[in-house]
Amino acid sequence: MRNALVGGIIVVVVAVLVWAGIHNVKARRAAEADAKNHQMTITVDKPGATASMDSPVADLRGKPAAIFTLTSNTGKRISLNDYKGKPVLLNFWATWCTPCKVEMPWFEEFQKKYAAQGLEVIGINEDEDAKSPEIQAQIKKVLENTGVDYTILMSDQKVGNAYGGLDVLPATFYIDRNGKIVAQAIGLAPKEEAEANIQKIVSGS
Amino acid sequence: MKTRSITTGLNALRLAAAVIGLLLVGLKSAHTQSMNVGQTTAAKKGHVDFIADGQSITANQPATVKLHFRVDPGFHINSHTPKSDVLIPTRLTVAMLPGDPEVTNVDFPAGEPFSFAFEPKQKLDVYQGDVVLTAHLKAKPGQHTLKAELYYQACDHAACYPPKKLPIEQPYTAK
Repeated sequence: MRNALVGGIIVVVVAVLVWAGIHNVKARRAAEADAKNHQMTITVDKPGATASMDSPVADLRGKPAAIFTLTSNTGKRISLNDYKGKPVLLNFWATWCTPCKVEMPWFEEFQKKYAAQGLEVIGINEDEDAKSPEIQAQIKKVLENTGVDYTILMSDQKVGNAYGGLDVLPATFYIDRNGKIVAQAIGLAPKEEAEANIQKIVSGS
Repeated sequence: MKTRSITTGLNALRLAAAVIGLLLVGLKSAHTQSMNVGQTTAAKKGHVDFIADGQSITANQPATVKLHFRVDPGFHINSHTPKSDVLIPTRLTVAMLPGDPEVTNVDFPAGEPFSFAFEPKQKLDVYQGDVVLTAHLKAKPGQHTLKAELYYQACDHAACYPPKKLPIEQPYTAK
């Protein structure tokens, strides 16, 4: 009688353990599949693009570049439409962004090199509180140190929403003569890669 | 004899019930853990976490409360005293309501030297990994919560992220 009882208990315990194991594996598989659906995929433009991000980077390639009108650092009102028919390198940067300041001299070099082919380089400054005298002075200092003479526009803190949200800087978009984004670089990309992208938009290939 | 076998049987049943009960509790927590896998791997917006813990201080005399932060691996934030004035320093703003213990000062640790691979000549002063700030205060006996907001700006090896605010709450007991 006692043996039957003990035997019965053992059977029940084993059955519960087996059920637990199966249930746990099923639940874990479901959770992993669910996690995969929520997992952030990092889309980088080219090999060598370098930032390690943990939020999704919008891939805007093939999309028309959003039109904006902003004020330059010299007080002029400038629209992206003003450059219709020209290839545009659009770069978002900030004074506190060290990688941004590494590539800005390259962009200045490329502005000069490809000017004859119509290239326009536009830098949009994303410093918060950019209107304060302190930040204005910092922007001026950075432009002097980097030797930048190309068009600099001041963000309205909204333009970035149309360019992927700007969770990361630098963010650079290569826009062809038809106003289409053909390449982008999120984070510091090698100089050769930047030049290759420029050649794409100036040649129209 | 009969009584003994009934008692033994009942004990065996009690033991089985206890074992099954423990198994079911274990199952529930395992199930919850596996369900949480999806949630914990969701991306965070910032790159710094705050780790609250239990702290006790002596009441009615100058004391310190530690604030533990952790910078995500592969990222760094500027120290409280970065080497360039264009860089955004890490700062802490303490919320103080009337009646709250007064925080007289917050100590920041020294930063460590860091250079980006693409700019080895530029020496930065940064925090990486675990960062502990020390708040100086004096509190009456009882349970308190230090509320503050960390302001920081993070970069990885090739990109920088806009400055972020991290609200924190650190409970402590003054005895």
